[in-house]
Amino acid sequence: MSIKFEQVTKRYQAGPVVNDVTLDIATGEFFVLLGPSGSGKSTLLRALAGLTDIQHGRILLGGRDVTHVPARERGVGFVFQHYALFRHMTVAENIEFALRVRGVRAAARRKRSTELLKLVALEGFGQRKPAQLSGGQQQRVAVARALAHEPAVLVLDEPFGALDAKIRVELRDTVREVQRRLGTTTILVTHDQEEAFTLADRIGVMHMGRLLETGTPQRLYRQPTTRFVATFLGAANLLLAQRTAEGLRFGHELAVPFEYLAALPGHRDEVVAVVRPEDVEVAESAERLAHRAFTHGHVHSSGFAGSFERLVVQAAPDSGLRTAIGHEGPGEAPLRVEVLRTAAESATLPLAPGKRVVLGLRRFHVLPTPISGVVLCASDAARREALRGDALVQQLVGSMKARVIDADDDGVALASAGTLAVAGREPPAPASAGSGLRVVPGDADAVLRLARALGHGGAVLALPPGTQLPSRALLLCTSDGARPATLGVLASVMRHLPVEATYVTVQLPTAPRAEVTASFRRLLDARAELQAAHGLDVRTEVHIGDVDGWIVGLLAAEDAPLLVLGTEATAAELAGLLAGPLRPLFQAGARLPLLLALAAARPAASAAPASALAGDYG
Amino acid sequence: MSRAAARRVLPGFGLTLGYTVLYLSLVVLIPLSATFLRSTELGLLRFWEVVTAPRVLASLQLSFGASLVAALVNAVFGFIVAWVLVRHEFPGRKLVDALVDLPFALPTAVAGIALTALYAPTGWLGTWLEPLGIKVAFTPLGIVVALAFIGLPFVVRTLQPVLAELDRELEHAAHGLGATGWDSFRLVVFPTLWPALLTGCALAFSRSVGEYGSVIFIAGNIPMVSEIAPLMIMTRLEQYEYAEATAIAVVMLLLSFGMMLGINALQLWAQRRQGAR
Repeated sequence: MSIKFEQVTKRYQAGPVVNDVTLDIATGEFFVLLGPSGSGKSTLLRALAGLTDIQHGRILLGGRDVTHVPARERGVGFVFQHYALFRHMTVAENIEFALRVRGVRAAARRKRSTELLKLVALEGFGQRKPAQLSGGQQQRVAVARALAHEPAVLVLDEPFGALDAKIRVELRDTVREVQRRLGTTTILVTHDQEEAFTLADRIGVMHMGRLLETGTPQRLYRQPTTRFVATFLGAANLLLAQRTAEGLRFGHELAVPFEYLAALPGHRDEVVAVVRPEDVEVAESAERLAHRAFTHGHVHSSGFAGSFERLVVQAAPDSGLRTAIGHEGPGEAPLRVEVLRTAAESATLPLAPGKRVVLGLRRFHVLPTPISGVVLCASDAARREALRGDALVQQLVGSMKARVIDADDDGVALASAGTLAVAGREPPAPASAGSGLRVVPGDADAVLRLARALGHGGAVLALPPGTQLPSRALLLCTSDGARPATLGVLASVMRHLPVEATYVTVQLPTAPRAEVTASFRRLLDARAELQAAHGLDVRTEVHIGDVDGWIVGLLAAEDAPLLVLGTEATAAELAGLLAGPLRPLFQAGARLPLLLALAAARPAASAAPASALAGDYG
Repeated sequence: MSRAAARRVLPGFGLTLGYTVLYLSLVVLIPLSATFLRSTELGLLRFWEVVTAPRVLASLQLSFGASLVAALVNAVFGFIVAWVLVRHEFPGRKLVDALVDLPFALPTAVAGIALTALYAPTGWLGTWLEPLGIKVAFTPLGIVVALAFIGLPFVVRTLQPVLAELDRELEHAAHGLGATGWDSFRLVVFPTLWPALLTGCALAFSRSVGEYGSVIFIAGNIPMVSEIAPLMIMTRLEQYEYAEATAIAVVMLLLSFGMMLGINALQLWAQRRQGAR
C-alpha cells in the first residue's frame, strides 16, 4: 500500500518536531528514515501509525486520507524499539493478539502464529513467556506480532537499537528477507547509516524536523545536496574551492580543469566541495599520482581499521587549502584531510606519521548551496561580537558547522581571519570573503553598502539588536525572476533553522481577477519549484492588502518571524525599497531579522540540475 | 545448601538472618505465643465453648465479611482513584493525592466520630438516606463504610507506582494491533496491574479485620447484628476475662493467617503468569 505524507507538521511548545514533511512511498518499497536522535523521525512514524496526532497536513494510506482515523483502524503493523511485548502472555498469545481482538477463531489463530513463528525462525517457542527469551528473540516476536493481521504497511521504530552488533546484523537480514517475501510496504527508523544503506530501497534523511533529502543510498552518498547529509552519511572532507576562469582551485592548486566545470552555475565564485576519504589518492610525489594533485602536506596520523587504513593528512600551510567546516577556538582550524586506503594500497606504500605526501582527487561533488559560510560584516570588533552572539547566527553556524569569517562593513575579509599569510605568496582567496552569508547589524545604510559591494548577487542577513530565534520564516519575492535564487538561499537557511516557512504573495484588494489568479498560480509554482530543486516544502499564503501594511503587521506580531525577501533590484532600486516599504524594519525597537536574497541578473539557461555538479574525471 | 555457597552469594547472610529471626521473635512471635499460651489456660472444652458462642460467631462473621466487602469496594474505587491520579493532569491533583493519605494520618476514633455524625439518622447524609430506607449508622453497612474509609489508601498507594511505571507503549501496541480501549484494558492493562491490586486489597483487608477505633462508633454494637470481633475481645478484657479474650484472639489470628497464606499463594500464581523471571 502506498504511503503519502503531505506537509505533515507536529509541534510542541518549543517548536515544530516534524516540519512540513512531504513524502511519497511506493507500494512494496523499503524506506528508511535516517537522522540523529531528536530529528523527528520517530514522531513522523507515530503519526503514520496514529499513535500521535498532527497539527497540519495529511497522511494518506493507499490513497485514503487517514489523518483522523484512529490507530486501530489504520492497520499499520508497528514494531517498537523496546519490543512492547505483553509479558503476561505467551509468545503465541502475543502474536495472536491482533487476531484475537478481531474475533478470529482459536484454531485459525494458532495456525497463523505457527506460520509466523516459522517465518521469524522461532519455531517451537510459542509456549514461552517473553521474559524467557533473549532481546533478539523478543524483537523477532514483536515483528511476527506486527505481521499477524497482514498489515499493508509495516513500520519499525529503531528496532535494533537495543541489541548487540552481531544479533543486529542477523535480525536485519531476517527483516529484509521477510519484507521481500511478503512485499509489505515498510518504513524503518534508525540513526545507524550502515543499517540504512543495507536495508533501504530509498533513504530519507531528517534533521530538526525536516526531511532534508530523499533518494537511493547511492545518490545520497555520492551526490548529497546539503552539508548535513554529506557529513552525516559517512565521512566527508568539506573543502572550499574557488571557481576561476581556468577551473576549480583548491588553495593554490588548480585541481579541476575548466572543461569539467562547464555545468557549474555561473553566479558563485566560491563553492563547497565534498570529498570522500576513499576518493583521495596518496603518493610521495605529484608524478606518481594517477589524478591531478590538489594539495600536499604530511601524514598526521594513521589508524588501522581492518580491511582499511584511515590516514589523516595535515595540509601544508603554503598549500592554501581551506576547509568549509568551522571550528571552535581562536585562530584558523588546522586543516586536515581524511583519507581511506585499502589494505593493498597501504601495503604498496607504507606511510608513517610525519611522511610528506601529495594528495590527488579521484572524484568530488560540489554542493549546490549558495552559502559557503557566514561572514560577520561590521565596522568594528564590538559590533562583530554582537552579531556573533546573536541567537539566529549561533543556531545557523552551529547547525551548518559553517566557517565564520570576520569582515569589515564592505564585506572585505580581515587579514587575520583569512587563510594563513605565508611569506612570499599571495593569499589564495580574493579580498572578497567568498560566497558566505553576509550578516550585518540592522541598519539600512549597512545593508545597502554591502549590497553594493556584493554586486553580483548574494545573501545579506540584517539583524537588529535583541532579535530572538524566530519560529517561522516568511518569504516574499519582489519579482518572479528573483525566485530561483531566493529559494536557493531560503533552502540553505531553513534546513538549519527550526522554523516553519511560508511563501507569501501580497495582493491588493482592488486587484483585477486575472492578477489574483496569477498570484495563486505563483504560490503553486514556488512550492513546486522548491520541491523539485531542493526537496523541501513550504506553506503558502496570500495576504490581501499592501506590502507596507503587511510589514507593519509583522512588526506588531508577538513572535517576530524571519523575513526572507528576494529581489532582483539594482542598488538604486534597493535603496528605494529600503527607504520605502522596508523602512519600518530599521526603526528603533524593530526586532525583525531580514534576510535579503539578491539575485543577479543572469541567463536563464544557467540553472543546472544538481546532478551536473559532480565531477568524475581522470 | 552448604554454608560456603551461601556465604558467596550473600555476604553477611548469617548476621542478617540472625537479626531477622531475633527481631521477628521479639516483635511478632513472642507476643503471639504468649497469646496462645494464655488461651490454653481455659482448657479445650471451655475454649470451644467461648469461641462458638453465637455472639462470638456472629461477630467473627461480621468482621471478616465486612472487611472482605470493604476490600472489594476499595478494589474498584481505589483503582479508579489511582488511575485518575496517575493518568490525568488536572488542577488540584496534588491536593487530591494528599487527601488519599488522610485515613492513614487521622486518629481512627476521629474518623469514627465523623462518620457517625454524617450517617446517623439526624446527620447530614443520614437525613437524606433515612427516607429512602437506607440505614447506614449502627448497621453492618455502616461498618463497611468505615472500613472502606480506612482501607482506601492501601489500595491506592500500592497501585499508583505500578500504574505509573506501566509502559504506555504496551497500550499503543495494543491499539496499533486493532484493540479497542476496552480490549486493551481487559487484555493488557488489567492483567499487568492485578497482582498489585491484589496486594493492596490484602493489605486493606487485614487492616480492616483488626480495626476498632473507627468502627466502634458507627457500628452501634447491637448484639448479633453489629458487634465486631475486636469488640468481643474488648468486652472480655473489661470484665478481666483475659483467657477468654485471648481465645477469641487466637481464632482471629488463625483465620487471618490462613487468609494471608491464601492471598500470598494467589499472588505467587499471578506473578508466575506475569512471566516474571
